[in-house]
Amino acid sequence: METLIQSLVSGVLTGSLYAMIGVGLTVVFGVMRIINMAHGDLVMLGMYGAFWAHVGARVDPFLSIVVWMPLMFLFGMAIHRFLLRKVVLGGELNTLLYTAGLSLFIANLALFVWTGDYRTIKLSYAVMPLRPFDIAVPIPLAISFGLAIVITVALYWLLARTDMGRAIRATSQDAEAAALMGVNVERTATITFGLGTALAGGAGVLLAPSLYLYPTVGEILVAKCFVIVVLGGLGSVPGAIAGGILLGIIESLGAVYVSVAYKDLIGFVIFLLVLLLRPAGLFGVGKS
Amino acid sequence: MTRGLVALAIVALFAVPWLVTNTFFMHLAIMVLMWTALGAAWNLLGGFAGQVSFGHAAFLGVGAYATMIFHLKLGLAPWYGLVLGGVIGALVSLPIGFICFRLRGPYFSLATLAVAEIIRIIAINWETLTDGPVGMLITTLPELRVLGQPVDWESKTPFYVMIATIVVAVIGATWAITRLRFGAYLLAIREDPDSAEAVGIDTVRTNVTALALSAFFTALTGGFYAIYFRYIDPDAVFSIALSVEMVFIAVVGGLATAAGPLIGAVFLVTLAEVFRERFQVWHLIFYGLFMMLTIRYLPEGIWGRIGLLLGRRG
Amino acid sequence: MALLEVSGLTRHFGGVRAVTDLSFTVAEGEILGLIGPNGAGKTTAFNLIAGYLRPMAGRIVFAGRDLVGLKPHAVTKRGIARTFQIVKPFRKLDVLENVVLGAFLRRRGRREAEAEARLVLDKVGLGAKIGVPAADLTLAEQKRLEIARALATRPRLLLLDEPMGGLNPTEIDQASLLVQRLREDGITIVWVEHVLKAIMKVSHRVVVIHHGEKIADATPEAVVQDPAVIAAYLGGARDGHAAA
Repeated sequence: METLIQSLVSGVLTGSLYAMIGVGLTVVFGVMRIINMAHGDLVMLGMYGAFWAHVGARVDPFLSIVVWMPLMFLFGMAIHRFLLRKVVLGGELNTLLYTAGLSLFIANLALFVWTGDYRTIKLSYAVMPLRPFDIAVPIPLAISFGLAIVITVALYWLLARTDMGRAIRATSQDAEAAALMGVNVERTATITFGLGTALAGGAGVLLAPSLYLYPTVGEILVAKCFVIVVLGGLGSVPGAIAGGILLGIIESLGAVYVSVAYKDLIGFVIFLLVLLLRPAGLFGVGKS
Repeated sequence: MTRGLVALAIVALFAVPWLVTNTFFMHLAIMVLMWTALGAAWNLLGGFAGQVSFGHAAFLGVGAYATMIFHLKLGLAPWYGLVLGGVIGALVSLPIGFICFRLRGPYFSLATLAVAEIIRIIAINWETLTDGPVGMLITTLPELRVLGQPVDWESKTPFYVMIATIVVAVIGATWAITRLRFGAYLLAIREDPDSAEAVGIDTVRTNVTALALSAFFTALTGGFYAIYFRYIDPDAVFSIALSVEMVFIAVVGGLATAAGPLIGAVFLVTLAEVFRERFQVWHLIFYGLFMMLTIRYLPEGIWGRIGLLLGRRG
Repeated sequence: MALLEVSGLTRHFGGVRAVTDLSFTVAEGEILGLIGPNGAGKTTAFNLIAGYLRPMAGRIVFAGRDLVGLKPHAVTKRGIARTFQIVKPFRKLDVLENVVLGAFLRRRGRREAEAEARLVLDKVGLGAKIGVPAADLTLAEQKRLEIARALATRPRLLLLDEPMGGLNPTEIDQASLLVQRLREDGITIVWVEHVLKAIMKVSHRVVVIHHGEKIADATPEAVVQDPAVIAAYLGGARDGHAAA
């Protein structure tokens, strides 16, 4: 029983970060109908951002998020404005191949600049885990969890209450209709891509103190993102949140009750089953 | 005239080992041909039928492991294992095809990626069969006599002849397909699956056939990979990066063209091998960059553009 | 005996009753018009017959054999060809190749298939456009191309889904002539159309569906007099306004 609760707790904690990554991918898909193969590499950039803030400028990695998220937002807008905008017109397969190229480019440039060494962030205040009710809660994960919730709530507010949020939701539902209603679809797409990139980068910052950092970590993360957004239904924000937490739980339960070796397999098998049996996602809210 | 040119090209291809003595160039030529075979095999499905697979490393790995396992565990000479590996690759592709072809476009691509990852994880953990993450090694290749002469495995020539034969087979098969109804059907599916069904094309069966052919040649080349490098491990032969590189060779060379993958491989692999001498990752940075430039400015690929300039079809 | 006999055909999407208990027959050589207000279920009926959707209930008997459960390509092999309401040509392929792909169904060799495709293209009036990529044709030409592609499969029954949708009056007259010519060739046709004038002129018989159910099945002259049909069209128009 204790093991079950323990693995549920760590599943939810990691899952909240998966959710944040998944939300970034899914809003971009919703508005532009593109699957961004480089999404995991954007997370990786956020991780290194936190690392260098910590090692280079002696800034707490969690604090550095206030710099990195806006920077990643601008970076994402630039990627869309100067690279992706024209490619998207060529169809979804072209975009898929293009972002695969972008992914290889970013990951290997990072490998060149930062080398393939595994790095970790050691926090002075995070040596021992918290132990509420005899359940071990690693401090970095707990902080990440809290911040992920704050960011997700902020995102909800943005989507629900602001004009930009309304434009994003309208475009996501029907780009043509949104254009007819006076939404600047092009600009919305650029901003959405910035938003997706900021979420990926932010999640990277939050993940950095809990994971090993290496430049090709994006390859594993991107595969996980696909599982997350497909579980929740491509294009659905609540779906991605649920999918992220679900994957976190599946992985941590799988590691305890199935085997560490096969825990990644479970995610992929469920992914395939969902794609085949419920292409709109487990909750039936996505767009296929 | 075309026939004469093709015959000349094939003669020239097999003459290379007798003209080039430099080992680096021989290695380069072998790598170019290996990637040509992989790109051309991928192109059968990805270029013609428009089904973009991000999981072809699965077939390369299956071919490589089949060759190794037959040799190390059952004592079968690897050149027989290579052919058997091709057949096994094709067989493995059948259930994969029936699952993944229920999905379209990017969803198909994601599903192939997932399938390849599943196979990689199985290969890492099924240690009784694959020896797990430590990989498999052939210390010495068994003796082989061709026309009474023992083959010198220290020289690059036998490997060159092997891979050149595979390349001629894949490109020959691709060329033949472009002339047949089957090839036209693949293009129809790429253009519009609903309309393809409307004119009586069994899209699932046609796709599965193309996948099986593609998987056969990929696994065959995987067998060659095992023989040439004599060492494989799951992360080397099942990696997503390997799948993506196959895609790039075909796209940069020219989708749905017979000779495109050769051009793509000459271009990208030469670049890769030249950079590898200095710094490992530079070639992948350039792969990524060329992929982006190609999709943006040359979506028909290098060979495809040449074809357009010469005003030819396909 | 009827060439096509549809009985009790039903298909709902979630709560939407797209087609409910639809029955009608088509005789060999007949041209049957299928009309109804927007969203009446006409295209769904086509998709059910052609195998793109599976009915929840009902039978589709074509030339004495039940088609339910067959994939679209198998339906085409049995002799039913279709066009799409929103055209779906093989966009990057040229006009000839589009039709050759249809002709390949009955002729394996490229030379025979090309010869057949050229004949069909002349018949629909696209003979001069043979080398043009399908994507570069006008909408009217693309609609013709789809008819040519369907004809090249040598169907016994042709399903035309709004061959005049989105065309201007001149193009509609030309399309109307084409269908009349097909009628003279003795091909059996089921034709969905919004342009009522054209369909009334060419069809032998008209079936009207409304909210997925058949409300009339008679000669064009009788159908236009039918109070239920008139009510459906007026009501349908009102519904349409409410939705927009």
